[in-house]
Amino acid sequence: MTFRMTRRGFAAGAAGLLAAPMLPRRAEAAGSIVAAAFPGSWEDAYRTIMAPIAAEAGVDVTIAPALAQDQVGKMMASGGTPPYDALLVSPGQTAMLQEQGLIDEIDPSRLQNWDLLIDSAKTPLGPHVTVEVNGLAYNPETVPKPSGYRELFENPAFEGRFGVQGFGSNTATMAWAEIAKLYGGEPGDMQPVFDLLREKIDWIGAIGTSGNAIRTMYRQGEIDVFMASTGNVARLRSLGLPCEFAHPQSGSPAIPVAIHMTKGASNPDAVYAYMDAAISAEAQRQLAEPPSGYIPTNSEVDFTEIILEFVTPAQLANAIYPDWATINKHRAEWTAEFDRAVAM
Amino acid sequence: MQRTTGAIFASPMLAMMLLFFLAPLGVLAVASVTGPEGGLTLDNYRVFLADGFAVGVLVDTILLGLKTVAAVTLLGVPLALLYWHSGPRMRTLILVATLLPMLTSNVVRTFAWIVIIGRNGPISQTFVELGLSDRPFSLMFSETGLVMALTQIELPLLVLPLIAVLSAADRRLVEAAEVLGADRWRSLVTVLLPMMTPAILAGWVLVFASATTSYVTQSVIGGARLIYMPQFVYREVGVLFQWPMAAAISFLLLVSTGIVMLGVTILARHRRLAAYA
Repeated sequence: MTFRMTRRGFAAGAAGLLAAPMLPRRAEAAGSIVAAAFPGSWEDAYRTIMAPIAAEAGVDVTIAPALAQDQVGKMMASGGTPPYDALLVSPGQTAMLQEQGLIDEIDPSRLQNWDLLIDSAKTPLGPHVTVEVNGLAYNPETVPKPSGYRELFENPAFEGRFGVQGFGSNTATMAWAEIAKLYGGEPGDMQPVFDLLREKIDWIGAIGTSGNAIRTMYRQGEIDVFMASTGNVARLRSLGLPCEFAHPQSGSPAIPVAIHMTKGASNPDAVYAYMDAAISAEAQRQLAEPPSGYIPTNSEVDFTEIILEFVTPAQLANAIYPDWATINKHRAEWTAEFDRAVAM
Repeated sequence: MQRTTGAIFASPMLAMMLLFFLAPLGVLAVASVTGPEGGLTLDNYRVFLADGFAVGVLVDTILLGLKTVAAVTLLGVPLALLYWHSGPRMRTLILVATLLPMLTSNVVRTFAWIVIIGRNGPISQTFVELGLSDRPFSLMFSETGLVMALTQIELPLLVLPLIAVLSAADRRLVEAAEVLGADRWRSLVTVLLPMMTPAILAGWVLVFASATTSYVTQSVIGGARLIYMPQFVYREVGVLFQWPMAAAISFLLLVSTGIVMLGVTILARHRRLAAYA
């Protein structure tokens, strides 16, 4: 049998294919949303755990990986037609989104699990789904346990063995804010960090452009210490890598992670169902287990073994919560100055 | 009549070019000269060009493209000549080896290079084993490592046009040169290279354009210490949200790489070189 395709047939077929995206998407319209999640471990966890739980509630969630700053950028560029229905960001970005009028306040009565949240996780703009505790991830087989950020720059055991990032990363920004304090900086004054970077630039093993790049360096044995959250350590361990978490002596910076509904979300009902699933005991119990090990905000969920290995409730209570208003005010100038301080 | 029919068939492509290339470029151009108050201004360009650090980034980006072009040429031309001299099996092998990396994503190829040029990678280990280095070393976050990675990633862009030209080349020309007394080097320089030159120039344009704008490879292999224009643009867009400045930087990158590419294209159209094509 010979297949014959006429030019007219080919043109009709091609036109049909091109027109396909314009057909009504009935199946998806019932309860589908696009929800942003940080790339890497968050994206994996939300795709494998959150999406199926939301599906049980009748919501088809498409997880779109994007860093918190990228989510803000895309929202600002969207001109009233948001690319996401739900965002996953931290307080620094929440403030920016609120200032730009890009997120809506929520109606807590629409969330069945709202009352189960710990008080600090209830905010008018959306629930906190976890609190990330930050510190230092290190390889116990190759370097001693670091006592804090300062030791990385002063103990020869860490010379060339630790990796850092710039101010595009929340984890790094919080760490730099702590380092600035340790070297005599006032709030909002990052000059001690830039002086330190210029003085000790060759002491640093790797300066990455993203968290994923830094974690890849760790996996390849290029570095043995980096600024990290407990979730990063849990993830690396799940990959079979030796990795421990160290709380800096000066205190561990912590940062809540919240889900927000975008202004103009295509399906607010579905976003509420997704938010409710994210703060449900079922989802948070699974997310508290390896490889994610996320600290729960649902009061009915206990800290799992892996979380307790990294953070006790007492350590969480004493964590440092940075002043994001000050950080947002200076972030642009710090980012620009960081580039100048580290550039070859 | 024929001209009208041709215009009708070309119109979808022209419409696409207009809608999806020229119109966005126009938006970019307008954005780059838009001030904070919405008026027209050249301040974004002025600020960039007055900043020595920023101009250094632009120069480094152009130099990175040129270094990659040089490295790809040094590797790609001998590979194409090997193809020319090989039998059918070897030719297939060279073609597959050249094409195979193109079937994987640029991200995958870039991350593979982390393994190759890392402290525990084969390059470092070989140097240590041969006694050429006292201890393992890493080429990550160095320009050498970046040029090596870009060379492999961009290699097909030069080798494939060369193979296409050589496949169609008349072997009797080389034989004629040899019959007339030319040795192998002379045949190469006077017969083969002139035939290959248009393809080499076309490859240079492709390699240069791709290497200077390769954000993933530049940022992953180069890290934060080697800053090139695509990272600079990303920072302005995604971190600082300074879109008019990002548009101005993008335009400057477009113009500066465009000038280099235009130079190569003009060279390719030179009377003597075009005669060999």
